[in-house]
Amino acid sequence: MAGTRSDWVGDYFMETMAATEFRVHPDAHIVVDGTVCADCTTRQCIVACPANLFVPTTDGGIVFNYEQCFECGTCYLVCNHEGAITWNYPAGGHGVVFRRT
Amino acid sequence: MTVVVCLKWVHDAAQPDDVRFGAMSPADHSALELALQCGEWAHADVTAITVGPAQADHILRDALACGVRRAVRIETSHAVSGADVAAAIAAVVADAHWVWCGDYSIDNGSGSVPAFLAAALAARQALGVIHLSFGDAPTIDAGVIEATRRLDGGRREVLEVRAPAVVSVEGATAHLRRAGLTALRTAAAAAIEVIRIATPTRVDDCVVQQYRPRARELAGPDGVSALARVLSLTGAGGARGAASARRTVVLDPLDAAGRILTELREWGYRT
Amino acid sequence: MSDSVDVIVVGAGPAGSCAAIVAARAGLSVVLLERGPFAGSKNMYGGVIYARMLDELIPKWWEQAPIQRWVTRRSTMLLTDTQALTVDFRTDAWGEAPYNGATAYRPDFDNWLAGHAEAAGAQLLTSTTVTGLLRDSAGSNRTGAIVGVRTDRPAGDLRARGVIACDGVNSLLAKEAGLYEHTDAKHFTLGVKETLALPKEVIDERFGVRDREGVDIEIIGGTGMINGGGFVYTNLDTVAVGVVLKLSKLAAQSLRPEQVIAGLKANHAIAPLIEGGEVKEYSAHLIPEAGLEMMPKMTANGMLVAGDAAALCLAAGIWLEGVNFAIASGMYAGETAVDAIRAGDVSARGLAGYQKRMRTTFVLKDHRKLRRAPALVLSDRVQHLYPAMVANVAERMFRVDNPQPKPGLRRIFAQERKRAGVRRRDLIRDAWTGFRSYG
Ligand SMILES: Cc1cc2nc3c(=O)[nH]c(=O)nc-3n(C[C@H](O)[C@H](O)[C@H](O)COP(=O)(O)OP(=O)(O)OC[C@H]3O[C@@H](n4cnc5c(N)ncnc54)[C@H](O)[C@@H]3O)c2cc1C
Ligand code: SF4
Ligand code: SF4
Repeated sequence: MAGTRSDWVGDYFMETMAATEFRVHPDAHIVVDGTVCADCTTRQCIVACPANLFVPTTDGGIVFNYEQCFECGTCYLVCNHEGAITWNYPAGGHGVVFRRT
Repeated sequence: MTVVVCLKWVHDAAQPDDVRFGAMSPADHSALELALQCGEWAHADVTAITVGPAQADHILRDALACGVRRAVRIETSHAVSGADVAAAIAAVVADAHWVWCGDYSIDNGSGSVPAFLAAALAARQALGVIHLSFGDAPTIDAGVIEATRRLDGGRREVLEVRAPAVVSVEGATAHLRRAGLTALRTAAAAAIEVIRIATPTRVDDCVVQQYRPRARELAGPDGVSALARVLSLTGAGGARGAASARRTVVLDPLDAAGRILTELREWGYRT
Repeated sequence: MSDSVDVIVVGAGPAGSCAAIVAARAGLSVVLLERGPFAGSKNMYGGVIYARMLDELIPKWWEQAPIQRWVTRRSTMLLTDTQALTVDFRTDAWGEAPYNGATAYRPDFDNWLAGHAEAAGAQLLTSTTVTGLLRDSAGSNRTGAIVGVRTDRPAGDLRARGVIACDGVNSLLAKEAGLYEHTDAKHFTLGVKETLALPKEVIDERFGVRDREGVDIEIIGGTGMINGGGFVYTNLDTVAVGVVLKLSKLAAQSLRPEQVIAGLKANHAIAPLIEGGEVKEYSAHLIPEAGLEMMPKMTANGMLVAGDAAALCLAAGIWLEGVNFAIASGMYAGETAVDAIRAGDVSARGLAGYQKRMRTTFVLKDHRKLRRAPALVLSDRVQHLYPAMVANVAERMFRVDNPQPKPGLRRIFAQERKRAGVRRRDLIRDAWTGFRSYG
């Protein structure tokens, strides 16, 4: 059966993310405090993060994985819960590396 | 007493000449860190050496920034084999006590350089090491390093290594320290020693060719008319010559083998 | 090596490299710090650089800059789900020196520009993230004069007589220095784009260009219900297609950025241009969209801010210019730092010449002129009502509806305005704002 439109957008998205190089540092440069997220009603990060790194869990929390982050800053700007996101750049030389942007 | 680390600049397949995307492998990072630790342990300066093009200078600068004292780049006139690389390095660091290498380079490396290097230096070797511990209180030459290497089937081998030795390590063995800011600034301006060697083009001692069956002599077909000659060539109508007639013989194996050989010789397949 | 220099420039984007070139050429000792493994590795944009400001720094820069194509064709497109109205302009003049706009990859362009900073004598240190400011111990932690920076390297403090912050849109340094009163998601747009590989001949044919000629398509509409815009730019053998999205709307519309791009790519006006393109890269970056409304103070005691860090990007709909503003403000910041250091006064007052240099040139003049444009272009009416209204007018005007006689344009327009639900009062007001901004 053919997948739904959002399926193929999703598959294609995996492919596009895989086309970009990330030199991942062992330490996370962005840390999300799930306890703050538990009472968040807007959850704007889930929709807005261009790398789709914020994933809601069934118990109302958020799982965040920093590895494919564009270091763009969208998440801390759209999040209106003080203290939910501790945002920094990765250690020098690490993180996303663009070639044809 | 010298400590040497061999580093390889590996270019990016998509952009081979582009220094921005070339790098050393994780195994080389690991080797560099361990060479620096070895230098601290043995109170010796560390030399970083690479065989490669000018683009490779930047990994040597990274090594200098991390604490290496001397950086040497060997430039060869053309692409060279693992043995040539080892010979070139050995010629420059003949007196090395401890030589550190990554176990494999990331561009399809076979991990042969460390082994060739050990042979060229007449040194001991500990290859594919995954864990190390430096023995205590070394006198200049008497230090012992305990090295654990991987064997098949998940087993481990623990070696006690003494100088002179070549140790090659896996990427996860050690995490390379980060260069300090002042060291980075100094290294950015430091000179890299460049040694140019002309590697002789080696003559190959075995010649490999495509398989081609041997030619055999064929007598021209018999017959006066064209039809007769065609018939004799194709064997149609039972007109084929005696040489190609089908024969069945019953022989014991030894004779059968002899007969096969004779037949093959007659047909021109063997001389 | 001494642990103090004349000038530290943070960020090797166009602003930082130009500041470093100017300061180093004046004979100052300059360190240029970049967190990426090479200059440009973190930098993403849409795709067109207007580099005339470089004439002064690098004469005949066009002969050596790593550009992809010279834009000789510029289209502005109003897009709905089923219609497109395009104003297409082309000129041979932009295909000759000194050129107008060029498409280029930022990892190439920024790296090249940083090379000029090094050639001028600045020391470029990559893979080094600046983590904070060093303050004069005489003052308090929040107010003391800025005397250097802290980096993420061991023994990573570096002191300087002046710091120029060119650290881009998130400018952690301008924020730490207290130059932004507050930051608000509504001042930013998010740009995402795909770089799609196609053979050069295919691109030439589809876009109607040859050799190094290139095309720039700016799109209004086409981003669903999220206020923003789209773009398509030609490189030599890739096409960049992307969207710019207003952050506050994006979050409200449960539509993810990659879905918005997918929608744009599927639009019949765009799909044939990029069909078969193989994705080579996906990227995202913020734009300080609000112009004057969000601009911070640009000087502190011991520090200047330039480029996106000072929100100097001009994002006014059919204009998306930032690199040229970064180049110019970087140069002016460099000049100001040189003057101030020579005069021995790097206090905010000693650095006041910077504002003046920008006020008297295009940097702030353009921003002032177009100060209402960003809000207008991103307004709900321009985004959601006008494209359909105008496209419908065009559709009816060009439709041959025999045996019906042709209707008059004025009547069509009035009907379509009503159908779109646009009040005449608002239309006149928007037209007036647009006229005053762009006129
Ligand atoms: C989607 C999109 C489309 C655009 N389209 C165009 C266009 O077509 N034409 C145009 O002219 N402009 C365009 N722009 C705007 C343009 O990209 C920016 O205005 C321009 O890049 C600003 O230059 P800059 O030097 O100020 O900052 P940047 O280019 O962002 O450079 C900042 C540098 O600082 C470094 N840095 C940041 N923080 C630190 C730190 N703490 N330590 C060390 N280094 C640091 C970064 O790695 C980076 O190299 C676009 C922007 C976007 C996002
Ligand atoms: S990160 Fe912020 S926006 Fe996202 S769920 Fe947590 S609190 Fe909400
Ligand atoms: S910085 Fe950008 S890419 Fe990274 S997690 Fe935040 S929103 Fe996502």
